[in-house]
Amino acid sequence: MSDTKTLMRFTGVGGQGVLLAGEIFAAAKIKSGGYGLKTATYTSQVRGGPTVVDIQLDDEEIYYPYANEGEIGFMLSVAEMSYKLFKDGVQPGGTIVVDPNLVHPTDEDRKKWKIYEIPIITIAKEEVGNVITQSVVALAIANTMMHAINKQTLIDTMLSKVPAKVHDVNKVAYELGEKYAKEAMA
Amino acid sequence: MATREIISTGNELAAIAAVDAGCMFFGGYPLTPSSEVMHVVSDLLPAVGGVAIQMEDEIGGICAVIGAAMVGQRALTATSGPGMSLKAEQLGLAQMAEVPLVCVNVMRGGPSTGLPTRVSQGDILQSKNPSHGDYKSITFAAGSLAECYTEVVRAFNTADRFMQPVIVLLDETIGHMHGKAVLPTIEEVKAGIVPRKVFEGPAEEYFPYQCEHDEPAVLNPMYTGYRYHFTGLHHDKNGFPTEEIETCRKLIQRLEDKVALHEDEVESYEEFMMDDAEIMIVAYGAVSLAAKEAIRHLRADGIKAGLFRPITIWPSPAKKIKEHTDKIEKVVVVELNIGQYHSEIQRAAARLDIDGLFKVNGRPLSPHEIVSKVKEL
Repeated sequence: MSDTKTLMRFTGVGGQGVLLAGEIFAAAKIKSGGYGLKTATYTSQVRGGPTVVDIQLDDEEIYYPYANEGEIGFMLSVAEMSYKLFKDGVQPGGTIVVDPNLVHPTDEDRKKWKIYEIPIITIAKEEVGNVITQSVVALAIANTMMHAINKQTLIDTMLSKVPAKVHDVNKVAYELGEKYAKEAMA
Repeated sequence: MATREIISTGNELAAIAAVDAGCMFFGGYPLTPSSEVMHVVSDLLPAVGGVAIQMEDEIGGICAVIGAAMVGQRALTATSGPGMSLKAEQLGLAQMAEVPLVCVNVMRGGPSTGLPTRVSQGDILQSKNPSHGDYKSITFAAGSLAECYTEVVRAFNTADRFMQPVIVLLDETIGHMHGKAVLPTIEEVKAGIVPRKVFEGPAEEYFPYQCEHDEPAVLNPMYTGYRYHFTGLHHDKNGFPTEEIETCRKLIQRLEDKVALHEDEVESYEEFMMDDAEIMIVAYGAVSLAAKEAIRHLRADGIKAGLFRPITIWPSPAKKIKEHTDKIEKVVVVELNIGQYHSEIQRAAARLDIDGLFKVNGRPLSPHEIVSKVKEL
């Protein structure tokens, strides 16, 4: 793996909008002059089935579009079944963010990885006021923890991919995600 | 060459390519993992005066496409393995009657309904002979996001040149991966369009199937005053059914020779780090991406591996393959099926000691698996 590569994995269940966060990351990296690829894996049971999105960001050209198992530096999960299925792709000592209302890591997991608990769905639903913004909350958390992309580039890319009428609410979602990520790491 | 960048998925790029290449008709039925091709052309075609129809099933889809092609339009259908099985009969008709069309197949796990959302390359041999009877299929396999665009454009030009269906194989990985593609400009694509031949003489002298032994039929658009008969039966110069011995022989031989004697026009492949290669990996489609990554690792370990990637899968670049396999002892074919192209490499190389790394569980082949296999050779 090249030194400049960032590997992230978002997992959830189909319909939660984890795919969009991946697209935004990849597009923002490309706009910054690098290479970005998003690949998603899902099951025939599109809504409710385990979904995983791998995001690769690099300054060099990326060939293989999936994250190599065991090399992922950051994972975010908002569904228990997906967490269990895909956690082993994260390198030992890597960062995992879970929604504690939905995902319950074991004590062994906590020894292996840096696990942060952030109630992503509740933040989106109650503080932002729109559950659909959870993918933007997740985006902000990932970027704050991984320092992957210039914040303004990421926000601009995100805004270009959502309807104008929800720009303000998504800006709020981003700021809240960043705030919770900083608090979790403090 | 002027270029432009698009950030998108393989399926979306295939759809954009069709419209840029002058396609005015889509007929099909949505099927995972190809559905986005249909979604996107449905948005794009009406805006340029074209038509996209969701038919009652995959069979209806290709029947409508044959109709659109018969009136002179460039026409597209898109599906996945189960849909290819349904379209097989009509692909045979289009071969026999010499109707140009493009069929995109985004491969998923098979046989039958298989693994709908998972990647596979199990339709390689199907694309060579989708239906019964003798003819020479032309099939391309996209190995990058950019090629999801460029190979669809090439498919339309090739279909019109040879007057037959051209299949473009994507796979679930390439179809759904999302990233940057560097593409030729629309102006360049438009400048590269060669319209199909039209007979411009008097209507009573028009015989669409009376052509040289290695040339395709000249089918004027229907309803323009040039009448001919359209059939899947063996036919004469007017298209009317016949069992006359020599006419039947010449017809089928011509379907073969119009491609076989012009293979240089369709041949396409990529050689990646092959100049000094002591080990040759053969891979196509998404697997070639894992192979390139594997070669980076192998080279870092001092192992001189290279990749030979056929882009035109059928007819295969057999002469070029043999050139390499005559010189390189260690050859491994890596694919997401149980050796469908491996057998073609053995044939082209005239060697039975070609190695293989195969996977059929719907999961991608990783660079690490390829590295391990090469180190075992």
